[in-house]
Amino acid sequence: MPASFKTEAVVLRSIRFGEADRVLHLYSADRGRIGAVAKGVRRIRSRMGGRLEPLARVRLVLHQGRGDLCTVTSVDTVHAHAALREHRASLEHAAAACEAVLRLFDSAEPNRAAYNLLCHQLALLDSEPGGAGRAQSLAFRSKLALAAGFAPELASCAACGEADHLTGFSPVAGGVVCASCEAGSFALDAETHKFMVKALAHPLSEAPQAPDRALAQADRALGETLEHHAHVRLRRVG
Amino acid sequence: MFAPPVNRLITELARFPGIGQRTAQRLAFHLLRASDEEALALADAIREVKETVGHCEICFNLATDPTCRICQDERRDGDVLCVVEEPSDVIPIERTNEFRGRYHVLGGALSPIDGVDPEDLHIVELLGRVSSNGVREVVVATNATTTGEATALYLADAMRERAPAVTVTRLASGLPVGSDLEYADEITLGKAFRGRREL
Ligand SMILES: [Zn+2]
Ligand SMILES: [Zn+2]
Repeated sequence: MPASFKTEAVVLRSIRFGEADRVLHLYSADRGRIGAVAKGVRRIRSRMGGRLEPLARVRLVLHQGRGDLCTVTSVDTVHAHAALREHRASLEHAAAACEAVLRLFDSAEPNRAAYNLLCHQLALLDSEPGGAGRAQSLAFRSKLALAAGFAPELASCAACGEADHLTGFSPVAGGVVCASCEAGSFALDAETHKFMVKALAHPLSEAPQAPDRALAQADRALGETLEHHAHVRLRRVG
Repeated sequence: MFAPPVNRLITELARFPGIGQRTAQRLAFHLLRASDEEALALADAIREVKETVGHCEICFNLATDPTCRICQDERRDGDVLCVVEEPSDVIPIERTNEFRGRYHVLGGALSPIDGVDPEDLHIVELLGRVSSNGVREVVVATNATTTGEATALYLADAMRERAPAVTVTRLASGLPVGSDLEYADEITLGKAFRGRREL
């Protein structure tokens, strides 16, 4: 492997390290998750600091040293997402998107669909900071679960294959279930089912709306499926 | 590689920010060479600071009494509160001589991804101070970072709800994004203070 390489990535998380450094968790387009040290970025005169804040999409040159962590050699901004940082809701939804990617994608295996989805979500929150909301964030999370291979089964009963009377959701079975397979499931309204199907079918920018009750059910269905099958616990979408 | 007590010392020293394994080793050998008196003076100083320095009951700044020197100082203006992330952020602001109000130290910044939620910071105490004590303005001086900004927006909302009469301001730009307050020079920070804007 060459000592230095270029990549494009989103900064998911940034942790203070040492005197003035930061350790970054990056999600890259072509190398999956990367851990890197950015030296001296907390100092006022650092040119890199402002570009490497969480939520930023950047083009980087990284140096692969002997340890697990790369070192950031240079960085250019692709998209700083400055507008979304001015609004509390959009900032919180953007942070939640990064957290979901951080928990669900922790290997060096690239996943282009997940990367594009994250970039798209951040760009969307940035261009319409007022559009940030629970339904939109749940649509993102559904699509991300799909990219990770953990999308809930929605077309037919996850236990027996029955296509009608789908009235419950079973996190253990990993999808909707029919009335006769409802052990271990919770009730799922028809509206919730419709929302979950539409959320996957529509582009992120046209995420469907649904009443609070349905959103709460969808949130639970998605969250508990990921807990069971991906062993990842995400906080509920606010 | 070394005797167990030496290893232990190296491990403890290597926990300091900016101190790697190699530097920790050098410091350990320095202490081994030093006279008993010199080495134990360091141990005493650490013990003393841990035994006598705590957090101010009012503002959570460092204090050797139940309250800190700034909270005790009656010449300080009680109408204006400056909110910072860490006790170390108070010092650079004091050095600017721009601020004559009092402080409130949050104990960090909001960062759900790191498990830092509102209840982990001294936010309830801040809202209590603001809604009861005739505070006119709250200057949010959290760092110019994503977590610092998120904290500022959260506080502005919480204060609009709990104490709508209070003006919430943020330091003016001039502090580069990504930087920590404690690295700011007095001139930049002083300018940022004078140009604070309403949130
Ligand atoms: Zn069934
Ligand atoms: Zn105090």
